[in-house]
Amino acid sequence: MNPLATVRIEWHEDVPVARVMGEIDASNVVEVGDSLRGLVTNQSRCLVVDLSDTQYLDSAGINLLFAIGEELRSRQVGLRLVVVPTSPIARMLSITSLDRAFPTHGTLPDALDG
Amino acid sequence: MPRLLEETLAALQRVTDAALAHLTLDELLNELLVRMTEILGSDTAAFLLLDEARDELVARAAKGIEEEVEAGVRIPVGAGFAGRVAARRQALAIADIDAFDIYNPILREKGIRSLLGVPLLIEGRVTGVLHVGTLTPREFTPEDADLLQLAADRAALAIEHAEAYEAERAAHRHAEETAHRLQAVQRVTDAGLAYLPLDALLKELLERIAEIVHSDTAAFLLLDDNGRELVARAAKGIEEEVEAGVRIPVGRGFAGRIAAERRAIFIPDVDHADILNPILREKGIRSLLGVPLLIEGRVTGVLHVGSLTHREFTEGDRNLLQLAADRAALAIDHARLFHQRRVVEMLQETLVPERLPEIPGLRLVARYRPASVRGGIGGDWYDAFQLPGGSIALVIGDVMGHGIAAAALMAQMRTALRAYALDKHSPAGVAERMNRLMMSLADSQMTTLVYAVLDLDRDCLSVVSAGHLPPLVRPPDGEARFLPTYGDPPLGVSRNTLYREQTFTLEPGSTVILVTDGAVEVRGEALDRGLERLRALAVAQTDPEALTTAVAAGEIGQDPPEDDVAILVAEVAPLPDRLSTVWPARAETLGGMRPVLRRWLGKWGAAPDEIYDITVAVQEASANAVEHAYAPGAATFDVEASHEDGLITVVVSDRGHWRAPRGTHRGRGLIMMRALMQDVDVQQSEGGTTVVLRRRLEGTAAS
Repeated sequence: MNPLATVRIEWHEDVPVARVMGEIDASNVVEVGDSLRGLVTNQSRCLVVDLSDTQYLDSAGINLLFAIGEELRSRQVGLRLVVVPTSPIARMLSITSLDRAFPTHGTLPDALDG
Repeated sequence: MPRLLEETLAALQRVTDAALAHLTLDELLNELLVRMTEILGSDTAAFLLLDEARDELVARAAKGIEEEVEAGVRIPVGAGFAGRVAARRQALAIADIDAFDIYNPILREKGIRSLLGVPLLIEGRVTGVLHVGTLTPREFTPEDADLLQLAADRAALAIEHAEAYEAERAAHRHAEETAHRLQAVQRVTDAGLAYLPLDALLKELLERIAEIVHSDTAAFLLLDDNGRELVARAAKGIEEEVEAGVRIPVGRGFAGRIAAERRAIFIPDVDHADILNPILREKGIRSLLGVPLLIEGRVTGVLHVGSLTHREFTEGDRNLLQLAADRAALAIDHARLFHQRRVVEMLQETLVPERLPEIPGLRLVARYRPASVRGGIGGDWYDAFQLPGGSIALVIGDVMGHGIAAAALMAQMRTALRAYALDKHSPAGVAERMNRLMMSLADSQMTTLVYAVLDLDRDCLSVVSAGHLPPLVRPPDGEARFLPTYGDPPLGVSRNTLYREQTFTLEPGSTVILVTDGAVEVRGEALDRGLERLRALAVAQTDPEALTTAVAAGEIGQDPPEDDVAILVAEVAPLPDRLSTVWPARAETLGGMRPVLRRWLGKWGAAPDEIYDITVAVQEASANAVEHAYAPGAATFDVEASHEDGLITVVVSDRGHWRAPRGTHRGRGLIMMRALMQDVDVQQSEGGTTVVLRRRLEGTAAS
């Protein structure tokens, strides 16, 4: 695991939740992507990526989330995002329309309910 | 037979003839015998000299009874005719030997009838007997006896002279031989050897030593680094010893005892001795002589020589071998030190960071100075590198001990620390892993360490100390103080040690100073005083370069430093108004750039959101530069940031070529830049791409 970021996995019943702690940039985007993709099985209904503890995210991370979202969609699996609404990360999602491409929630319970 | 006076005088003259002085002892004795038989008209004459050790007379020269000498006749003092002359220390005449107990049968066999004998006296001490005999019966007169005594005195004098001369000649020969041997010993360490590598030197020394002491075998065993075993390093005549890598524990066997007892040991018969190394017996060595190699009283090895035939090595041999060993020890020590120094220097050169990381707003200065004393090169090291999140790792450590072993262990420690630190373990986590590694790598080895992580974003320093001197921090315009770190034990003491880290706030503009004890230690003095000198120097000398130079030169420790000195100084300097930075075109550098940008933007009063946005925009431009860094000269790219009346301008320029972004995510970086900045200008040319980003900070109005 690249030390810039840690991906912490939680399971809420059969829904995998990946909490990305730290920073995502071009140097670790491949590893972060691998951990996220590894969470999805054929039985999965959706994947929640929680960006509440993400300190830095630029186009490398945005591109990754777009790519994973498209891959999951083709497998009938939904991608849901959690981001603190007032955070810089939320602004990045907004600029790139990522928050409109995939369901984006302010809190994890909202995303799980979603 | 009365004799005329002139005859007597002539006879005297012949016995005391000065010309006799030029003869050798044997020639003189023979000449005297000839003259005496002539003067006295005797048929036989003989000299017997005293063998003092055995109290016997030994036939030395004879005339008419030459068989006496040939047979090596020995007559005990007091026995027979000659023996009685010697015992009585006066002349004895026998008219008829049949009426006398003659010890020596040759006299009778030769048909001697009468005998006259006188003692050879030197200062009243008997040194031999001179006797004459006749084949016809004769009454020797007192005059005959006086004349014979005269000859005997003359002979005694000559014998004394000759013996003195012989002794002198022998002494001279001995002196010459000694001189020759000393010359040979001298050759043991002539100038030509100075440039030989250790193995070649040892081989050459053995050749010379074997030649000097005329031995069949010779071998050097050198003490290994931990001082517990002797290792066969070079051998002559018993080369198998080296090939087999023979190791002898100190205190055991022949060589082991020499090293333990620091004295020469002579073994006359190998069969009856405690010999550990079977090779010595297998090679048929009968006698052995070994001496310690000593440097300033410290044993560094053993030199032994052996003989395939039984040999009594003399006190002289022993002294000579010790002399050769002393010189050899110096030469070996010198060669080893030289060799060691080169190896360690190479190690140090490889390990001391080629250059310290260049981080805007941080000034790093470091110095390593190897110990100046014999065998002193040690295991000090320093390191400084940027961690993935942009924090700076500051390291100073000291592997205890000296020499190659310490330097090699240091190399492992340094590498291990980098590996653990780059895996983003906390300082305490790094120390714990280092400790476990240390326990598994080296038995009974210790390392002291300070590992500090400097977080420029948060202006703090997280420190773990494993038995090392605490970091010294000098705030801007303040009193320097040592950080009150926990006194956790050195690495390698116990597998169960828990290491604790502490985080200290660091005022911007502070300087962090890390040293090894060699920098402040003065022999025989409490460490506190050295630390206080360092503190005082840090207050007085604010320039990191000058401070480092002074400490490395031994200004506050031992001068010249006896131990290694390592010093690492990190000055958290205020960022310049205009940021001018160069970055390697690698994705990994992006993380390190962010703290610099954040700090620089914070300096101009940018709000957190603004800092984040501008940072992302600059990173997007930088990521492009990294991505397109395939053109020649594109290994680095530049980031320049300036501020004017609230307007931030960042120029990112590379020497690569942007390609039209491909795929579904095309141009998302550019989109973000445009969204985050007020003005984005991309200029592309043959020479590369320049992106100019501008944004006015909200809180600051243009004046």
